[in-house]
Parts: sequence; structure tokens; C-alpha cells
Amino acid sequence: MGRDADRPDAERPGDDEVDDRGIGSRELVVAAALALAVVAATAAFPAAVDARAAYEIPVEGQSSAGDLAEPTGDAWESVETVTVPLSSTGAAVPGGADTTVEFVRVGAARTDERLYLRLSWSDPTANESTGSLRAFADAAAVQLPVSSESRPPIAMGSTDERVNVWYWNAADGTESLLAGGAGSTTQMSESAVETTATHTGDRWAVVFTRPLSADRANVTDVDPDQDVNAAFAVWEGSNDERSGQKAASEWYYLSLGPAEGGPPYETVLWALAGIAVVFTTLVTVEGIRRTRGE
Amino acid sequence: MSKTTDDAVRQADEAARQTDDGDVPLAEGVDHQVAMVMDLNKCIGCQTCTIACKTNWTESGGREYMYWNNVETKPGAGYPRDWEEMGGGWDEDGQSRTPGQLPEQEDYGRAWEFNHEAIMYEGSDEPLRPMENADWGPNWDEDEGTGEYPNSYYFYLPRICNHCTHPSCVEACPRSAIYKREEDGIVLVDQDRCRGYRYCVEGCPYKKVFYNAQTKTSEKCIFCYPRIEGEGPEGEVRPPSCAEDCPPQLRHVGFLDDEDGPIYKLVNEYEVALRLHPEYRTEPNVYYIPPFAPPQTSESGETVDAERIPRNYLEELFGPQVNEALNTINRERDRVRQGEESELMEILSTVNNDDQYRLEVFDDGA
Ligand code: SF4
Ligand code: SF4
Repeated sequence: MGRDADRPDAERPGDDEVDDRGIGSRELVVAAALALAVVAATAAFPAAVDARAAYEIPVEGQSSAGDLAEPTGDAWESVETVTVPLSSTGAAVPGGADTTVEFVRVGAARTDERLYLRLSWSDPTANESTGSLRAFADAAAVQLPVSSESRPPIAMGSTDERVNVWYWNAADGTESLLAGGAGSTTQMSESAVETTATHTGDRWAVVFTRPLSADRANVTDVDPDQDVNAAFAVWEGSNDERSGQKAASEWYYLSLGPAEGGPPYETVLWALAGIAVVFTTLVTVEGIRRTRGE
Repeated sequence: MSKTTDDAVRQADEAARQTDDGDVPLAEGVDHQVAMVMDLNKCIGCQTCTIACKTNWTESGGREYMYWNNVETKPGAGYPRDWEEMGGGWDEDGQSRTPGQLPEQEDYGRAWEFNHEAIMYEGSDEPLRPMENADWGPNWDEDEGTGEYPNSYYFYLPRICNHCTHPSCVEACPRSAIYKREEDGIVLVDQDRCRGYRYCVEGCPYKKVFYNAQTKTSEKCIFCYPRIEGEGPEGEVRPPSCAEDCPPQLRHVGFLDDEDGPIYKLVNEYEVALRLHPEYRTEPNVYYIPPFAPPQTSESGETVDAERIPRNYLEELFGPQVNEALNTINRERDRVRQGEESELMEILSTVNNDDQYRLEVFDDGA
């Protein structure tokens, strides 16, 4: 509809429209009924629409883990993937604004016990070593608030609102980190986070997995019935990316909460309501024109 | 890398200020500052200091290529190769850091494998040599120097981390993993906090922080702090190994703010001990007595009245103050030649270790 409204030859309300005496005509009733019907139809067939809210990462419940721990596992085929845009954080380190990876695709699944996150991104060069003086490894991370209801400052949280970081790099594997602001990142011992990574063609795919429940303090306790915020970052080793020189996302959320009536579906309804309002207006205008016999 | 007049004026002012009120500026939050003065006129390039350091700290475990103490021939490319061209340090206002480079492994040189096995045990009669193509390494250009015969010249420059007052390595670390120790200003890398980002390696203009590719952390000279704390041999307070093991004993070790000590006198009173590349503005605490060389000779072998080491080269290394420093030393030498006393010459020619190493002056909780 937006395109029509923009067209120069589209019918537009004239100045005399202010004088509204035609409202309530038969056409309007029809339009309203039509809009209602669309809304009702959408309510009845939610699956017919790509029903994902902005910033949502749907988490697919699976009865058994199967091969979810494998980045190439069949179990991932049914899991919806969200393309998350990344941009440099502009951190105050040399090259802080110079990052290369622009998108990461994120899929999420869970069993009753574990959460699985699969990150994949385009990277033609696999940089798998930090074992020489100028080598930096490709890396990726997932950031979660320590307190699962909170939404800490995106850049590594703050002293009051700390974050957990699940960190993987292609040379040294997995680390579980705790941070309360930029520069405060500390490695936690005995991480429960596990990763598996593959580089095929020109993409990395990494699965991060961890038991849902926290095994101790300062670890995000993932409640299977409650959404939790999550952010993502990728480092391109061949561009010497490390530390704050990273391509990072905004806060997204893992939608673990009740599926129906949750944020995504609401968004669809609001969008449709918007369409209905515009449609109604157009029909009304047309009705007025006709009433005037133009 | 050349110095501006403004710079010279500012530094002269600073030096004057130090002398006038006897107050040595230390880094913020630092109680005292360790310092070292090396007399370049005494260095014979024997590398005993290099090996003393290496056997103590960098023999293995990813440190094979590291020389926390190295001795390079000047003029020369140094270690790592062309380190003076690699940036780092601070810009002219001393507020923002100058971008620096990460040296390549080849710039440091590799720890070569030699054909010892073949020669010692298999009866081979080839010459002893590295088994891989060796085309660069520390001291590759040793004793080459520059200039035309018979007036060629070179001298040795021993280098350690300068434990700077305004260290750009510290500023470069986004994690504060590298820091200046409160009690004596020694610059250390906290191995637990370091995540191997190597910003400090890029940031140090003297290239005295080294990345250990095995531990995945950066490492550097620790000024032998266990020795100066009395944790070394026989539980005594000892100077760093590079100083103690030097055959000609050319180093003074102590505190910059020990106003009765020789370092304070050489640096602040006589102003004959100078910082290497003061224009990097990290304010090093290793100071050098600039080198003298025999005068030039003519083709026929006559001594001519011209300095062998060009002044502008010494200025490039030590700043314009080198002129005044050389004049002062010349003046004091003349006094000694005429049978007069010279405190400066006594300090520079002492053979008494108690005068050279003053590390316990602040031990009473000062
Ligand atoms: S010499 Fe380099 S490593 Fe040592 S304190 Fe100065 S800037 Fe840091
Ligand atoms: S031990 Fe002394 S003389 Fe020998 S190279 Fe080192 S500083 Fe020079």
C-alpha cells in the first residue's frame, strides 16, 4: 500500500476533504468489515505469516538433543535461523572501527536440560592459530546477562549489571567469561559451556551449548519459560581483530517464554491492525469522493 | 624522529626544574622509581648481560626468541630489526599514542637448529652452521657500524625495558593487564589478566614487550624484581643480573628519586645520563652516558681534529642534550687531567659496587 500512496497519480484526499459529511457510508462499513476479516484470518492462521518480532531469536524445543551439538547436525534443519546484523563497536583500541564480518546467522534450540546456539558466518579464511607473533584467531561470542531478566549495557555490561560471555576462538577453544564493563573480562574456571566448530566452504559454524540451569553464582540461569537477552560478536583473525575490535550485534532475545500471545505474535497483530487502519482510511476517502459524485 | 626546538626547550626546562627544586617527577601513584644508568664508553659487546638475562628468564617455553636484555651495534638495525621505524610511544603533545607495529618473527630472528648432531656424533666434517636458511637474527649486523675506512665507527647499545614514567605499553592495554608497580615503578605484565592482544607490543616504541606464542600472553623484563627484593641468590638484595654480571660493571642501579645516589647526580645534577630517543616521550628510566670515540684520522694515519661519531647521529639517538652532556664530560675529564677533583668522574669510574648499586635506601618504609 505504501507504494500506491507514493505514486503521483494515486488518488489523494483533496483540500475539501476537511468538510467531512460522507463518513458512515456503506463503503466504510464494508472496509471495516474487510479489515476485521484480515485480522481475524491472521489470528486463525498465524503460521501463514513470518511471525517473528524484531530482535527475536526463536528457540525451538526438541525432545532429545540428537545431533544438535554438531554444527552440521540434521537436527538444525528444522530450526529457524535469524540473520543478525553486526557492526564494529568503535572501542578505543587501535583499529576499533575496522571490522569485516557483517552478519551472523543464529539458530537456537533447547531440550529440557540444555540450550544450543548455532552461530554461522561467512569467512573465507580459517585463522586457527595464535601460535605466532602476528597471528590472531577467528573467534565468536555470545553475551548473556548474568541476571536473566536484566538488559545490561551492550558493551560488556557494567559493574551493577554483569554479563556472561561464552567465548570461542579457533585456536584455543572455549572460555566462559564474566564481565562488568569494558576491560573487566575475567575467565571463569571450569566452564560448563561446550563448543563444536566447523569451517566448510567459506563459512564458520559454531555450536555453543550449556545446561540451562546455572551451576553456580555469576552464571546466567536460563529459565525455559522466560525470554533472555543475548548479543553476538565475531572476530576476523585475518584482519587482526581481537578485544574490542569486533563485529557485534545489538541485544536480541532468545524467545523461551510462552510461544502463543508472546511478543512475536503481538507484533504481527499490531502490524495487521496498522494495515487495517490505512486500508480503512483509503476506503473512507474513496467513499467521500463518491458521495460527492466526483 | 628528529627533535623539534620546542621539544628541546621543554626538556631543558624540565631538567632545570628538576635540578632547581630537587623534586624528581615520578609517575602518578608510584612511590619510588627504579632506574639504571649505562656508561656506553665501557661496553665491550660481550653479551654477558644478554646471556645472564636469558638463563634467568627466557631460556624456554616460547621465550626462545626473546632477549629482554639485548646488546646491539649502533649504527645498525638493532633487535628487532629496524625497531626504531616501528612507531609506538606518544605524539608531540604527549597525550595521544602514536600507532605502532607488531614486528614479524623474522625481525627478531628465529632460534636456529644447528648441525651439532652431525658434527659431534656422526663424524661429519661440514662446518658448524644453522640447518635452515639463516638470513637474519639478533646481532646479524654486529660490529658493522658505518663510515669509511679509516674513519668507520660503531658502538654497542645494551637495551632493556626502560620501566618508563609515561609508558605507552601500559596505556595501550584495554584490560590494564600491564601496569607500573606502586613501590618502585617496575612495569609488569599480569599474566592472569593478559589475554594476548599484543597492543602493548605494538605500543612500546622500544619493542621491549614480547608475545609468547606458547603461553599466549605478553612478557617482558621484570627488572629482576625478585633479586632487588632479596629473593635472589643467598637471600641478599642484588641488582638485576644484567648489571651484576657485566664484566666492566658499566651499570649503576638505584632509584631516580634517591637524591644522594649516583643516578640522581648523573641524570639530574650533571645531566650527562640521557634517555634513548626522548622524542618517543615515554620518559625512560634507563639512562645512557653517551659514547666517545677516538678522533678521525687522515689517509696517512694522522689524527685530525674531527669527531668520529657524528654529532647528528648522537642527537638522533639521545636528543640535543647530548651536546651539553659531552661538553660536561670533556670539561670534567680535563679537570682530572689537571689534577683537580671531579665528583662526576669519580662516579663514572668507581669500582665500588656499594656506590653503583643502591637498592636499599628506601627500605625503612619510606
Ligand atoms: S620500554 Fe616499552 S615496555 Fe618498557 S615501560 Fe617503556 S613503553 Fe613499556
Ligand atoms: S655485559 Fe656489560 S660489557 Fe658485556 S655486553 Fe652487556 S653491558 Fe656490554
